[in-house]
Amino acid sequence: MLTLENLSKHFGGVHAVDGVSLTIHEGEIFGLIGPNGSGKSTTVNLITGLYAPTTGTVTLDGYDLTAMAQHERTAMGVARTFQNIRLFGNLTVAQNLWVAQNGHEQRRAHFLPRWFKAGGEHSPDIDELLKFSRLHSKRDLPASALSFGEMRRLEMARALASNPRVLLLDEPAAGASLEDGQLLAERIRDVRDRGVTVLLIEHMMELVMGISDRIAVLNFGRKIAEGSPAEVQANSDVRAAYLGSKHKDEELIHA
Amino acid sequence: MDYFFIIDFLQSLVDGLLFGTTYALIGIGFTLIFGVMRKLNLAYGAAALAGTYIGVAASLAFDAPPPLVFLLSALGSGVIGILVYYCCFRFTPTHYPMASLLASVGMLLFIDEVVIHASHGMPFPYPSVFRDATIELGDVWIRGDLLFVFGICVVAMAVLFWLLYRTPLGLATRAVSQQPRAAALCGIDPTRVNLLTFGIAGILGGIAGAMTAAAVGVISPIIAMGLTVKGLIAVVIGGLGSIPGAIIGGLLVGAAENVFLLLRGVTERDIYVMLLLFLFLTLRPGGLFGSSAGRD
Repeated sequence: MLTLENLSKHFGGVHAVDGVSLTIHEGEIFGLIGPNGSGKSTTVNLITGLYAPTTGTVTLDGYDLTAMAQHERTAMGVARTFQNIRLFGNLTVAQNLWVAQNGHEQRRAHFLPRWFKAGGEHSPDIDELLKFSRLHSKRDLPASALSFGEMRRLEMARALASNPRVLLLDEPAAGASLEDGQLLAERIRDVRDRGVTVLLIEHMMELVMGISDRIAVLNFGRKIAEGSPAEVQANSDVRAAYLGSKHKDEELIHA
Repeated sequence: MDYFFIIDFLQSLVDGLLFGTTYALIGIGFTLIFGVMRKLNLAYGAAALAGTYIGVAASLAFDAPPPLVFLLSALGSGVIGILVYYCCFRFTPTHYPMASLLASVGMLLFIDEVVIHASHGMPFPYPSVFRDATIELGDVWIRGDLLFVFGICVVAMAVLFWLLYRTPLGLATRAVSQQPRAAALCGIDPTRVNLLTFGIAGILGGIAGAMTAAAVGVISPIIAMGLTVKGLIAVVIGGLGSIPGAIIGGLLVGAAENVFLLLRGVTERDIYVMLLLFLFLTLRPGGLFGSSAGRD
């Protein structure tokens, strides 16, 4: 459903992403891994529209997203979370979800009546998402008052509120312990079971290897491997790439 | 200090606080635009005054009643605000903040010239209401026209707060001010939010312009500079980006202006108000309510 074709992004002479082609299928959890600076974040930013690619296209269900602005891609069904949390801190938990739900829906309906209609944060959809994210008891607190783990859950809920087809998770386990990682894996499966395709960008190998249906590995902006977790772990290019960056190597072997 | 001086002082303070709500509205307008775009729109005060002239035109053309003049002033200023957005902000490159800043300075002078040309630089009468009514609180009198100005400005603020805190439009505006990238990825079109913010800020400016003219009873091109400068001082005192700060700052500027008027006379008054600007910029550059919270 989500297809990257010969996607490149050059910053001056730096080829941050260099001719990457990927196809992510409907309903799968797809892991995107690679050493630091391998082009994972740039790839995410090309998919969501922060950067315009130097070459190549991004398509979703056959629709070409390449020329669309970020908010238009959200309306098409692309959502993401951020590695460094970017919630609307002064808005309540429920309002954070309402903004995302509304920003998405205002493109369909005539926006004026919708934009001046108060009290929409008490909708059944938002209640359901709050329960799903175990944030129901915090719904009227400002988002800045949440704990770190709750903020991460709210980020994911906010991304889901825009009713996406595909959800990009940018290092959702950053700063989480191993036990949190187990819970996170269940949550990501829950998201997939809601019918949302997941693209997971992650450093925590245990998590990626454990839940991904397929994995692609980037190094120096190029795709060096793609396949099932077992295939990727067995790939000699992947091992070489991770041997270059010392810490990741052990994780890969032990995972 | 004798009794009469204290009464005069209190009288100045009350008049200043009532009239300060117009500066508060201008300050809120600067702050709203800065909030969503992180850019200063220096043409804002001039655009507000130009909008007020649209009300005057209606008053001259078909003898419109005061409420209609006020309404047209506010809406006219909203429209001019949107024009300013398209001319100075919509298409200037975001990576060069100076481009839109200088464009807005150019627009300030341009609007000023157009207003002077159209009005031949002459002051026009502006409808004033409750001019002769007063409420007496002991020896301090509350002027009816200033009370009206105060009431209208407070209602405008209340409507704004309802918009910002209760409606999807307001939440989208606040979301864009806090996290523009995340807001875009929530499906919010930043251009549309910017456009509506300029329109709403313009309407607030038009109300402030109309109320300033109503309090004085005349409108003249020189009001634009006063609105711009006092509005900027209000946001510097309150902290750029903070709406409560702009309100407090506006009231303080109004009060200080009238107290200096009493103590030092009309020609010296603004000198001391300007000194407040430097005092705050030096000692408390973030203002009273300045947020240190960054965004990217």
